Amino acid sequence: MALIVLLIIPGIARAKLKSTIGGMFLPAIGVSSVGNNVLGVLSSKSLNPVQDEIIDQALDSDLKLENIHLRAENLRLRAAADWGLRVPWKTKLAQVIGRDSFNWWRRVKLNLGSQHGIRSNQPLVSIEGYLVGRITEVGLKTSWAVLLGDPNCRFSALIKSSRQQGGIVSPRRFNSNYRIVELTYLPNDIEVRPGNLVVTSGLGGAFPKEIPVGQVEDSWLSRDGLYLEAKVKIHADLNRLEEVRILTEY
Amino acid sequence: MTFRISKMLLLLIGAYFLTFIQSYWHWPRLLLGFQPDLTPAFLVFVGMTMGAGYVSSMALATGLWLDSLSANPFGISVFPLFFVGWVVFCVREKIMTREFMAQIYLGIIASLIVFLFQLILLRMFSANPMIGWEMVFWSLLNAFFCGLFVPLFTLSHKAFGRWFSHPSYEPNKWLDNNRQIVRGKD
Repeated sequence: MALIVLLIIPGIARAKLKSTIGGMFLPAIGVSSVGNNVLGVLSSKSLNPVQDEIIDQALDSDLKLENIHLRAENLRLRAAADWGLRVPWKTKLAQVIGRDSFNWWRRVKLNLGSQHGIRSNQPLVSIEGYLVGRITEVGLKTSWAVLLGDPNCRFSALIKSSRQQGGIVSPRRFNSNYRIVELTYLPNDIEVRPGNLVVTSGLGGAFPKEIPVGQVEDSWLSRDGLYLEAKVKIHADLNRLEEVRILTEY
Repeated sequence: MTFRISKMLLLLIGAYFLTFIQSYWHWPRLLLGFQPDLTPAFLVFVGMTMGAGYVSSMALATGLWLDSLSANPFGISVFPLFFVGWVVFCVREKIMTREFMAQIYLGIIASLIVFLFQLILLRMFSANPMIGWEMVFWSLLNAFFCGLFVPLFTLSHKAFGRWFSHPSYEPNKWLDNNRQIVRGKD
């Protein structure tokens, strides 16, 4: 009965209800992030003096490892800062705080919402500047975004070298590899080679032009022979996404 | 009455954290390659040990919470959870629900039924989820996890019962067995 009532109410009311019930998790998100911070602080302090000696001995090697880690992070952030200076768009850094509970969707929850200037359909790029997805639902403090490969994330893209246009869609068959999508509706008289770079085409206005998406791994003729299709490995590692940039003005 | 309310509250808190963890804890996905869904195991446990009101409320709350954190059409997870909870509730007197292995089997079957029901309902309401053969392997693995979690939920329920309620009064039992006078010849 509840199911029938829920499914026959108008779409807007259902979306509002969904957003309201989803908002019940905001306190838990807050407590969880505070808990993580507290644990981080506590784990840095030792309560057992006997262990301190062992820790001191291991500290040298730890410091070396930390140094390597910090250098890598420094390089990554420098690259990100450089990217931020190079592009003409205004961006906002957001953290990924949750993911869709079901494995048949690719969606993430971000810690920025309408009060931070986030709007529906704004594009998402990784720290390195690769396309990741777009915003779909915006709440006051949080928002949901669909990632590349989700059935609801389709857009126009082109092969960088040949400038031939096609459409990025989710894989026809479910693939656990988060980095695989399909580029379809390519003209059947062109040559598509593994390694060809794929970028956004800017058509439709959903995404700005020339954002790197991925590279071609394989291509084949469609069943009816009317167009070419290609398997594309996307640059961004969507399974390990922690921070993203939202393009607020582009 | 107070006990019933507190029990309901405790179950709701449990369901809330179960759905929260499934969406906000990222490490199971990194470790296993998919996010396990333990709500069928929870509903089996509720169906085995609680009344009809608890089964209905838990199915409604858990289903709505799950869908609010997902791209699923809102309310689609309620019916599959409600169905498995009710079936277990209706047949629990006829099956060996106290047996460890029986609980595991119930969890496995419930998880597979919920998975199939959800997919059928998604297709019926014209949502287009990503489906493939690999999903079958994941659903089997998830069913195995659900099977393991049913006895775990039952054990935790027993432990909570011991910690937070008075021991049951049995008039025919001596408080201290050593003080009982045993009559008759050895």
